[in-house]
Amino acid sequence: MTTLQSPSESARKATKDQHVPASTRGRRWKPQDVDRMLPAWISRLVVIACLGAVLIPVGYMLLLSVTPDSKVALGEVGFTNLAFGNYVTMWAEAPLASGLLNTILIAGTSSLLSVLLGSLAAYPLARWKFRGQKTFLYSLIGTQTVPGTTILLPLFVIFSWIQTVVGIQFIGSYHAIILTYMTFGLPLSTWLMVNYMRTIPRELEEAAFVDGCTRVSALFRVILPLAAPAMVVAFVFAFLVGWNDVLFASVLTRSETHTLAVAVEQFANNAAGTGIPLYGQLMAAGVVSSVPVVLLYLLLQRRMVQGLSAGSMTGV
Amino acid sequence: MQPSPPAANRSPLSRSRRTIALWADKPLWMLIPCALALIVIVFLPVIATLYLSILDLDISTLREWVTAPIIGLANFAAAFESNNVLGVSALQSLGVSLGFSLLTTAAVTPIGILAAIAAHRHFRGRGIVRAIFLIPYVIPTFAVALLARIMFLNNTGFVPQVLAALGLSSIDTYWLIGPNAFWALTFTDIWATWPFIYLMVLAGLQTVPREHFEAATIDGAGPFRKLFGIVLPQLRNVLALAVLLSTLNHFGNFTLAFVMFSSPPPDSAAVLPLATYFYAFTSFEYGLASAIAVLTMVVLIVPGYFYIRMTRIANRIE
Repeated sequence: MTTLQSPSESARKATKDQHVPASTRGRRWKPQDVDRMLPAWISRLVVIACLGAVLIPVGYMLLLSVTPDSKVALGEVGFTNLAFGNYVTMWAEAPLASGLLNTILIAGTSSLLSVLLGSLAAYPLARWKFRGQKTFLYSLIGTQTVPGTTILLPLFVIFSWIQTVVGIQFIGSYHAIILTYMTFGLPLSTWLMVNYMRTIPRELEEAAFVDGCTRVSALFRVILPLAAPAMVVAFVFAFLVGWNDVLFASVLTRSETHTLAVAVEQFANNAAGTGIPLYGQLMAAGVVSSVPVVLLYLLLQRRMVQGLSAGSMTGV
Repeated sequence: MQPSPPAANRSPLSRSRRTIALWADKPLWMLIPCALALIVIVFLPVIATLYLSILDLDISTLREWVTAPIIGLANFAAAFESNNVLGVSALQSLGVSLGFSLLTTAAVTPIGILAAIAAHRHFRGRGIVRAIFLIPYVIPTFAVALLARIMFLNNTGFVPQVLAALGLSSIDTYWLIGPNAFWALTFTDIWATWPFIYLMVLAGLQTVPREHFEAATIDGAGPFRKLFGIVLPQLRNVLALAVLLSTLNHFGNFTLAFVMFSSPPPDSAAVLPLATYFYAFTSFEYGLASAIAVLTMVVLIVPGYFYIRMTRIANRIE
C-alpha cells in the first residue's frame, strides 16, 4: 500500500485550511461586504426603483394640487400654469375647514382619553401578576383582528337603541364618535404603556410609597412623567385613528360633526359630478390631509417606527 | 416580571408595612374603564352581529330590533344569491376579497424584503431614503384613494397615459369601473402597504448577529447564500407574523376601495367590507349586512387565531 501523503504533510494541509483566510481560496471579499445580502448593483437598483415608485406618484399628487381644475380634467398636467389658488378656493368649495376643526376636536379628545385610560390599565398590567391578565392582554390583541366593517353596523344599532331608550340624539354627536375612536386607540395605547412601564424600575415607586404616595399618586406623579415619551407616541397613534378613519365617521357623524376625512371623501364624490371636475382642488385637499401626518412621522420617525412594530409584533 | 418586589436582598426595616401592603393589594380597578370601553364598543357589537344576522331587520324595524322576528339562516341564503341589489353574491365578494388580500400580500412581501435589505446597510443618504420609503404607508388611506381616482382616469389619467405610451393598453381603458377595477385597487394597495413589510423586516434585520455574517463569509458564502441560508431563516417568525397581519389588514381594508369607487362598488372590486357597508348603509338591509359580517368573521377566525398565538404574550408574562 502506498501512502500518498506523509502524515505530517496532511496535518500541515489541514491546519492551513483552517487558518488561511477565505480570500486566498478563490472568492475575494472585503470587510464591508461581510453583511451584504444582495450584490451591490441589485441593492442599488432596488433603492432607485423604490424611490421612483414612491416619489413619482407623490410628486404627481403635489403637481396636480397646483394644477387648475380644467387642466387636470383635460389631462394636461405640466409645470406651466401652476395654480396655487387651489389651496385657497378649496376651503370655500367644500366644508373642509369645519371638517379640520372637528377632526382636531374629535381626534384630540379621543386620543387624550385613550392615553389616559390606556395608562391607567397599563399600570396593574405592567406591575402585578393576576388572574385573567393573559386573557386581558389577548383580548387587547384580539381586537386588532376584528375588521371595522363587522363592528360598525351593530354599533350603529346599539347606539340608535340607546337613543330610543334614553331619548337623546347620540348618533351624530361628538360623544358617540369620540367614544368610538377612544376605544380603537386603547389597545395600542395600553400596549405601548405596558411595554414602557416595565422598563421603569420599581424602586422609584418604593421611594414614592415611603414618601407617603398612594398607588394612584405614584402613578400620576412618578410613573407617568417618566413615561412621557411613550405617552406621546401613544397619543399620536390614537390621534391618527381619528384623522385617518372614514368608515365610522361616515355613519356616526352628521354634517356639522363631519371629520376632515369624511368631508374630503364627500368632496371627492361631488367633485367628480360637476361640469369641470374639481380634481386640482381635490388633490390640494388630499395634500393638506397628508402633510401633517407625514411630518409627524418624519419628526418622530424613530419612536413612531418602534411604536408601529410594538403594535403589530407585540411579543416578538 | 417579578410577582412582588425583591425583598430578600434588603433589610426588612427599610420597607414599611404600608409599602408592603401597597404592593400586596393589586389596583385592578384601574382596568375597569379600559375593559368597559372595549366591551361596549368592540365585544358587544361582535356578539350582536351574530344575533342581528338571524333577524329580519331593516330600517323600518331598526328601532325595535330587540323584538324583530327571527328568520334563521334566511339572510345567509339571501347573501349567497347573485341576483340581489348589489349584483354580487357573498361568495363572489369572498372570492374578490381573498384574491385581493392574497395577491397584495404576495406582492408586498418580496418588495418589502428587498427594500429592507437594500436599506439595511450603510450608504450615503440612507436616512433620507428610509424616510421616503415610509411615505406611502403614512399618507392617509383616503388621500391615497383620491390620488388613485385621478391617476387611473381613462384618457386623462397618469397610469393609462404611461401604459399607452409603453404600448401596453389603450389610453381609453376604464380602470375604475368594470373588471379592471380589481387591478387598480390591487395595484394601489400594493403601492400603499409594502412599507409595512419593509419596516418589519428592517426591524428584524437589526437582530441578526454580525458574527453569523462573519462565519458565513469565512465559509465562503456569497450575498445570496447569506440571504437565503442565514437571514431569512432567522427572520422566519417576524416574517410569518408580518405576512399574517398584512393579510388580515388587506382583508379588512374598507377605506381604499370605498373612497376609490364609492358605494356601490364595481362588481370586480366588491370586497366583503364594501358589500357589508353597502347592505347596511346604502340599501339598509341590516340582517343581510350582518350575515355578510358574520361570514367575514368566520373567514378571519383561523388567521386571527394564529396571529394571536404568534404574538406569544403568554411567554412574555412568565
